[in-house]
Amino acid sequence: MPRLPIVTRRRPLRGTLDAFLWALGMAFALTWAVPLVQMISTSLKPPGEVLTHALAWVPVHPTIQPYIDVFKKPVLEWLLNSVVVTVTSTVMSLITGAMAGYALARLHFPGRRLVFWAVLIVLMIPTEMTIVPLFIGALRTGLVNRGLADTWVAMIIPQVASAFSVYLFRNFFLSLPVELEDSAAIDGASRFRIFVALAVPLARPAMVAASILLFTNYWNTFLWPLLISFQDNMKTLPVGMLIFSPGGIGGGPTDINAYDTVMAAMTVLSIPTLVAFLVLQRQFIEGATGAGIKG
Amino acid sequence: MAQIGRFARAERDARIRGLPRRDLWWRVRNARWAGRRIDWSAYLFLLPFLLPFTVTVLGAIVFGVFVSFTDWQIVGAPHWVGVSNYAQAMGDHWVVGAWSNTLRYAMLYVPGTLLVALTMALYVNGQRRGYVLARAAFYMPNVISVTVVGVVWVWILATQHGLLNQVLGYFGIAPIGWLTDPKWVLIGLAATSIWWDAGFIMVLLLAGLQDIPKELREASSIDGCNDAQTLWHVTLPLLRPALSLSLTLLTIAGLRVFSQIYIMTNGGPADASQSVIGYVYEMGFGKYQLGYAAAISMMLFVTILIVTVVQLRVFREMTH
Repeated sequence: MPRLPIVTRRRPLRGTLDAFLWALGMAFALTWAVPLVQMISTSLKPPGEVLTHALAWVPVHPTIQPYIDVFKKPVLEWLLNSVVVTVTSTVMSLITGAMAGYALARLHFPGRRLVFWAVLIVLMIPTEMTIVPLFIGALRTGLVNRGLADTWVAMIIPQVASAFSVYLFRNFFLSLPVELEDSAAIDGASRFRIFVALAVPLARPAMVAASILLFTNYWNTFLWPLLISFQDNMKTLPVGMLIFSPGGIGGGPTDINAYDTVMAAMTVLSIPTLVAFLVLQRQFIEGATGAGIKG
Repeated sequence: MAQIGRFARAERDARIRGLPRRDLWWRVRNARWAGRRIDWSAYLFLLPFLLPFTVTVLGAIVFGVFVSFTDWQIVGAPHWVGVSNYAQAMGDHWVVGAWSNTLRYAMLYVPGTLLVALTMALYVNGQRRGYVLARAAFYMPNVISVTVVGVVWVWILATQHGLLNQVLGYFGIAPIGWLTDPKWVLIGLAATSIWWDAGFIMVLLLAGLQDIPKELREASSIDGCNDAQTLWHVTLPLLRPALSLSLTLLTIAGLRVFSQIYIMTNGGPADASQSVIGYVYEMGFGKYQLGYAAAISMMLFVTILIVTVVQLRVFREMTH
């Protein structure tokens, strides 16, 4: 996985043109942050301020009433569904991805290139292409519209095998020196022991990168849960929160004065991934780089 | 090497000491392929991945092809109908409209995102004061759920009291129907997607920029090139692999667009923003014509494969 250099010394600005470009870039970055800053600040405004102080970044009279209103809806149920599905999917993708990635990087067997190419091609295939057959499959196996546990299973199964996870781990293991494992093999350790005792502990950076990217990805999964959550209590958070959506779909308010609650709901939905990103920024960006096809 | 050594030793031992002939188990364990002993354990390592992968991805694609040749509905037994779904799609003016919308959206979204992401990457790569903060601000939208992206941008782009129109109002520009005017809706949606995705492409381009040796750019400026010339003649050509990958990923993302449109306009106004996958969704899960929906997604699937292969080929040619 390519590493971003940790720069301790910034490049000083050279001349007026450079200073001007710097200011322009910072203004650009600030503009990029506006939607999310506005979202959070509006979620703390009392209804009267939403319109009158629409562009103000700091509420005049901050209030948490919008958040109280959000939790009057079955948000906690959706949160539970989201947590169960996201955490299970992430853990399973990590395990299957690390094992398969290790085999592709280290082991010698007929079919290795075939499996690797299948992974590469599937990386390029959007999930939208398989929703119809998967939906029929979920209907025919009776996993849909029965109970909550069945819906969880139906939501998790398509996320167990992540080509992205395999790809990331394969690249990481290829970047590790092989000598240590070779000497363990000469000493008679089995492949599985080598994997568990040597390779996995060394793969901690890849584990961190893969788990945060998979977590973000699964937390935000939208289309598949939308299709198979037939009842309100089966929804995940991104699907359930649509009731606050004022747009083409969903039953949210169209009155901008009520946007304090809408934005509070959106903030609740964003907090887990947003906080994870702000804390683990470097791992996020390195992981995303590793995801780029650079093998 | 250790394995080959052990293999040779065992063979020699068997020959010299007249040990019993190697049994089948021994032969399998020491089977060779492409000159090296096969690690049979590899298949065990692959099993937990390959099993669900085969069912939910490869199997689903094969099954999807089959479904596209049937009149599959939610109830009743499906019948084989040959290519009639495909024939019907060719003559369906809703399909044509959805394709046209999707292509026009992609023509705004792909170059727009690439240009914005390139600007971001060049800026961040300059490592001026505060570049870590700028990088965070650029990448942040990428970790946000599409629900949030859609709802927040519905608010920003609202015709009445929308934030963007308010800001434009200060400059005396009359309110624009970003999501309500058929002429503007694809632009509004593309702007939303650019905000959402540019940070991710920026990271890919940053990785490419950091693979370019600093000496090359320094040499070019010593040779008297100004910054713009260095960018055009040195940096961009060397960035080609990263640009090519970005272009491919963006084209795929542009063609498959659905969720943000579903949330923001649900295809409106007057179907002016109905995308291909949006139509698949409507046919498959609104009207439960699953066979027809599968056929339309197969057509998109084939388009994506062709575009990907062509783009990768063209860029490989250009690089050599």
